[in-house]
Amino acid sequence: MKIAILSGKGGTGKTTLSVNLFSCLKQGTLIDTDTEEPNSHIFIKPTNEVITNIYKNHPVVNKDLCSFCGKCGEYCNFNAIIPTKTKVLVFEDFCHDCGLCEMVCPNNAITYKTKVIGEVFSSHLENKSFHYGKLKIGEVSGVRVINKLNEISKEDGLVLVDCPPGVSCSTVEALRGSDYAIVCAEPTPFGVSDMTMVVELLREENIEFGVVVNKSGIGNNQIYEYLEEENIELLENIPWTKERAALYSTGNLIADKDPIFNEKMEHILQKVLGDNYDQ
Amino acid sequence: MDTKHTRIAICADSENPKDDVASRFARCEFYGVYNHKSLSFNFEENKAKNEMSGAGAKAAKQIYDLGVTAVLVPEIGPKAFEALEAFEIEVYRYSQTYSVRDAIYDYYEKKLQRVLASTKTGKHA
Repeated sequence: MKIAILSGKGGTGKTTLSVNLFSCLKQGTLIDTDTEEPNSHIFIKPTNEVITNIYKNHPVVNKDLCSFCGKCGEYCNFNAIIPTKTKVLVFEDFCHDCGLCEMVCPNNAITYKTKVIGEVFSSHLENKSFHYGKLKIGEVSGVRVINKLNEISKEDGLVLVDCPPGVSCSTVEALRGSDYAIVCAEPTPFGVSDMTMVVELLREENIEFGVVVNKSGIGNNQIYEYLEEENIELLENIPWTKERAALYSTGNLIADKDPIFNEKMEHILQKVLGDNYDQ
Repeated sequence: MDTKHTRIAICADSENPKDDVASRFARCEFYGVYNHKSLSFNFEENKAKNEMSGAGAKAAKQIYDLGVTAVLVPEIGPKAFEALEAFEIEVYRYSQTYSVRDAIYDYYEKKLQRVLASTKTGKHA
């Protein structure tokens, strides 16, 4: 069973929720797919990590063989290769590594060059596994890194996914194959606005979901009205307290030190996993 | 009068030379092409304007295909500039909002500055 934790807006508590729910499990896997800014590991504190490189290819044009026929540019869907009057320009960032330009080149002037775009860090402790991905600075898309995280965890029984914020390609990739989604939202106008995009995405992908309102007590009641109007299940309501913020800011698991918070985590797991939740 | 370039392109949001110049290069609606020999304007729809990525370089290709050798722009990103340079298209910059026709006049009066490097940071840089 794969459960995605996502939010739309950043900073609502996806990681807080992910790592604390994970800490309540006896067995399972957590993957942090926020490859631009992963931070679950700050709380999990993994040891003996195994690092796997993630690669991407992009075309390189051999000037001596190129006849400037322009085919590569005509076929590229992403404007990643633009034949000009004087040379063939390659924009690595735009390339999706599809291989089409190499195929259509009549002069075999195009070859592919490989580069490392990110890394996956894997660790195991007793019956639990934790993997997170990190995109290299300057790279534009974490999709390949997330794809690797999905691949290495696909055989695992229970997988929690700490998703990236927003509803971009990265989030869609992180959601892939999820059986259920927990939307972690904050009761502010921005929180509600960004959550509606996530709700739209989940409905489109046909993924069942419920909402955890984190940091309740701040903002306003708009979020509760929205949930009622849209007939969305409120899984849990977690009040904001200074103590919780302090624990988080020092890299601690709140569930370890705050019994009420811990109870809320268990309550969420019971609701989501039902009989599958082994306390 | 500078007669080096027969066709000069300019960024526009409508098909009328009396209307204002556009404020973006790769995502403007039209390219106005002024033909120095026939003294006439032709407007071509910008095919790159809705591209998810790489609009600048694609726009440069379209401008080249129109037979243009100089382009007047409001600003230019690094990838678009690299492409225009590779197509050997000269880039000139206007820095006010006025009509397409007035910008062309300014070009002929040598009031527009030649751009020799990109004027803004790219979205993906």
